Amino acid sequence: MPWTAHDRPFLDPAVVSRLGTLELKARTVVEGLLSGLHRSPFKGFSVEFAEYRQYIPGDDIATIDWKVYARSDRYYIKKFEEETNLDCHLMLDVSGSMGYGSHHVMSKFEYGACLAASLGYLMNRQRDAVGLTAFDENIVTMLPASSRPGHLLSLLVTLDRLKTARQTNVSKPLHQLADTLTKRGIVVLISDLLDDPAEIIRGLKHFQFRGIDVIVFHVLDHDEIEFPFERATRFEDLETSEEVMAVPGVVRAQYLKEIGALIERYRRELGSSGIDYQLVDTNQPLEIALLSYLSARSRSL
Amino acid sequence: MLSFLAPLFLAGAAAAAVPIVLHLLKREPEARVKFAAVKLIKQAPVEYTDRRRLRELLLLALRVTALLLLALAFARPFVATGAAVGTTGVTVVALDTSYSLAAPGRFERARQLAKDAVARAPAGDLVGVVTFADQAEIVSAPGSDRTLANDAIQQASPGFGATRYRAALSAASQHLAGRRGTVVVVTDLQENGWDAGDRASVPEGTTIQVADVGAMPPNLAVTAVRVLADRVVATVHNGSPRARDARVHLTIDKRPAGDAVVSLGASQSAEATFAGAPRGTAAAVTVDDPDGIQADNVRYAVLGGTSPSSVLVVTGSGDVNRDAFYVQHALAAGTRADAAFQIAGVAAAQLASWTEERLAPHAAVLLLSTRGLERRGRELLAGYVQHGGGLFIAAGPEVDGEVVGDVLGAGSTLQIAAPNVGKPASRVLAPADGRHPVFQTFAANPASLGLVTFRNAARVAGTACQTLARFTTGETALVECPAGEGRAIVIASDLDNRWNDFPLHATFVPFVHEVVRFLASAHLQTVDYLIGDAPPGVPRVPGIVTAGAAARGAGGARAIAVNVDPRESDPARLSMDDFQSAVTRLKDTGALETRGEARQQEDQQHLWQYALAAMAILLAAEGVLAARTA
Repeated sequence: MPWTAHDRPFLDPAVVSRLGTLELKARTVVEGLLSGLHRSPFKGFSVEFAEYRQYIPGDDIATIDWKVYARSDRYYIKKFEEETNLDCHLMLDVSGSMGYGSHHVMSKFEYGACLAASLGYLMNRQRDAVGLTAFDENIVTMLPASSRPGHLLSLLVTLDRLKTARQTNVSKPLHQLADTLTKRGIVVLISDLLDDPAEIIRGLKHFQFRGIDVIVFHVLDHDEIEFPFERATRFEDLETSEEVMAVPGVVRAQYLKEIGALIERYRRELGSSGIDYQLVDTNQPLEIALLSYLSARSRSL
Repeated sequence: MLSFLAPLFLAGAAAAAVPIVLHLLKREPEARVKFAAVKLIKQAPVEYTDRRRLRELLLLALRVTALLLLALAFARPFVATGAAVGTTGVTVVALDTSYSLAAPGRFERARQLAKDAVARAPAGDLVGVVTFADQAEIVSAPGSDRTLANDAIQQASPGFGATRYRAALSAASQHLAGRRGTVVVVTDLQENGWDAGDRASVPEGTTIQVADVGAMPPNLAVTAVRVLADRVVATVHNGSPRARDARVHLTIDKRPAGDAVVSLGASQSAEATFAGAPRGTAAAVTVDDPDGIQADNVRYAVLGGTSPSSVLVVTGSGDVNRDAFYVQHALAAGTRADAAFQIAGVAAAQLASWTEERLAPHAAVLLLSTRGLERRGRELLAGYVQHGGGLFIAAGPEVDGEVVGDVLGAGSTLQIAAPNVGKPASRVLAPADGRHPVFQTFAANPASLGLVTFRNAARVAGTACQTLARFTTGETALVECPAGEGRAIVIASDLDNRWNDFPLHATFVPFVHEVVRFLASAHLQTVDYLIGDAPPGVPRVPGIVTAGAAARGAGGARAIAVNVDPRESDPARLSMDDFQSAVTRLKDTGALETRGEARQQEDQQHLWQYALAAMAILLAAEGVLAARTA
């Protein structure tokens, strides 16, 4: 059964944004998410026994070790340490356009970084190797995938040091990364995808060609989805500094049509290509994005 | 000049500031947003900033103009002309040019005071100059050029008129025309400048200032000359505070005819008598007073010029002693020299042999009988009346209505019919128009005429005639009928104690006098005039002048004496307070008149409708533009 955003209360991104470090944010989001899940999302891909624990109501009955019960007349459940050989690559867009943020919540970049950190934390926790690639028009930073315990810290520090700056060229880093990956795994792209959709889709399909699953988090600010501006405004492009004076009332309909068409195109073309596409509004809780990942992850196994 | 009927509504124009203020307040620093999806915005039709800003300014201008037009419409604008023009203040300098200022040095001082008043007039005020004595004259209409006002003052000079403040203030008030104004009266504050009970009216709010020229210098004046049969008597007044001896001279036809010396106490008058029957046409009495006012040092008189006016009485026989006994005695009665009339009688039948020239000199004609009045005589009377003569018809038993119809000319509507048989025997006369000059004498006691009993009365009617009195029975008693340049008064009874007892009553004499005087008013010959009362065309200079006889029958040109008003020689002065208290400030009648005229002009122009129409058009344009701008 897929998880939905309405099944449970999540942390408001505004709350998350006020948490101190990226690690704390990631841990809060992930632990908060996992602590409420009754069914283990890791069922089926953990193989190594870790310990016994006394059964407590709510635990899955299937995990009860009946042999121990026969010997001791007590219910114990088996706990396994997960093992994986899956490489997960987080690709975070740090182009200038990701710097946009409104309504006193996180910018797209901050939201994306937090999402990347949470995913990294989650993956590290389940012993998946996780790597990070930050890019704008080129690859800015690349942290190879690893499941070492200390690797999460490196990942978080790298994320913490990232800043938005340059223009976007999403497809180019996609191709570069696709060429470098030799091992099957998952690529998680976190970007606003404000680039040529055809090129981006082509780059994503490159991963599929290499046998790598792709999950796309299309991060957009609420303003970019709804265009709630009222008064005449001079809009300055975050990447090109190009300015356009526009009256929102005049351009809103056309803009919404354009952004809707762009989203729909990604949803349609990526879906048809077997690429998980998730539109993420920065107003939405991060857990929803994580659940999307977990859902996609469970499907891929 | 654009004026407003309700200028207070212009304050509503301040509402025009509202959109301006809103515009300025709303003109925050330009909203700038750093945005990621600019290229998506660019794909929408983008409005250029400059064009939008221009459109917004145009919108602002339209809204402001619409509000201004609304305020303008409510203020009821109109292009003012005439008295409705403007609210600029006006200063009118009224300069006394009466002869009391003709003493050496006095008028120069008056001029200087007037120029000072011009110089002191508030900046921006229009300044005008009025000279006045017994009449006022605008010598410099209110204007912004004060040089013109000063030139007019410089060119003014004292004349021979007497001071009349009322004339000055009336003229000045007309030029204030409802505007804020100041009237500066430059005068020597003579008390006689106000007639008894006289008041002048100025608009409320008008400031009256008096520039006092100063008291009159010691002065001697000849205030009257009486020509009697055996002597000439002149009255000399000493206007100085000390006794003086005055040398008085009589000249007749410019030849010395006598000298006299009179002793005069302080502020007293005395008579100088020149014995001997005056022979000649014109007399002049002068007094030596080189330091005083010169104009009142001489007085003129026409010798033999006070003959009574002649009244022709037309009777049946021509014997006025018999046929017009009561009328003759009534006309001869009179206490004043000019009150009595010279009476001439003629039989109606004899008029046919008269000429126009013989009839013309008579001041009035009393038609008491038409017995024997032939066509020629009727035409003669008709011509007399048509050319300005006065005819008094007593429609008694001696007067035939058929004949009378002809004596007023062909266009006459006068009809006189014999009395009805069997009518009540007694009736009383009651004036229908008490304001008519004929009844002025009876104004104090109109009931006195009710004592007369009329036993019989003719039936008098005329569509063009004005009924002056009716009998208590409702019949017409007295009518006035215009005929050409003259007029006739018809009484529906006789004047010989036959149909009424009018001649036996005290009211008969004044009634006959007033009727005859009214009819003869164009012919009465006055020979002694004050300058202010001189006939038109006569120079306003003292002396013996020949006046052209305007009226037919005056006998052509005649000599008249024109003298200065002796009251001007009276040195009595007003205080400033007395002067001010004689001025009544009306409830801004000038302003009301101006407002009335302004309202009339505004009603004719309807500019407010154009303003509202323009506002509606602007608002429509604003609506279209706003819809495109939103």
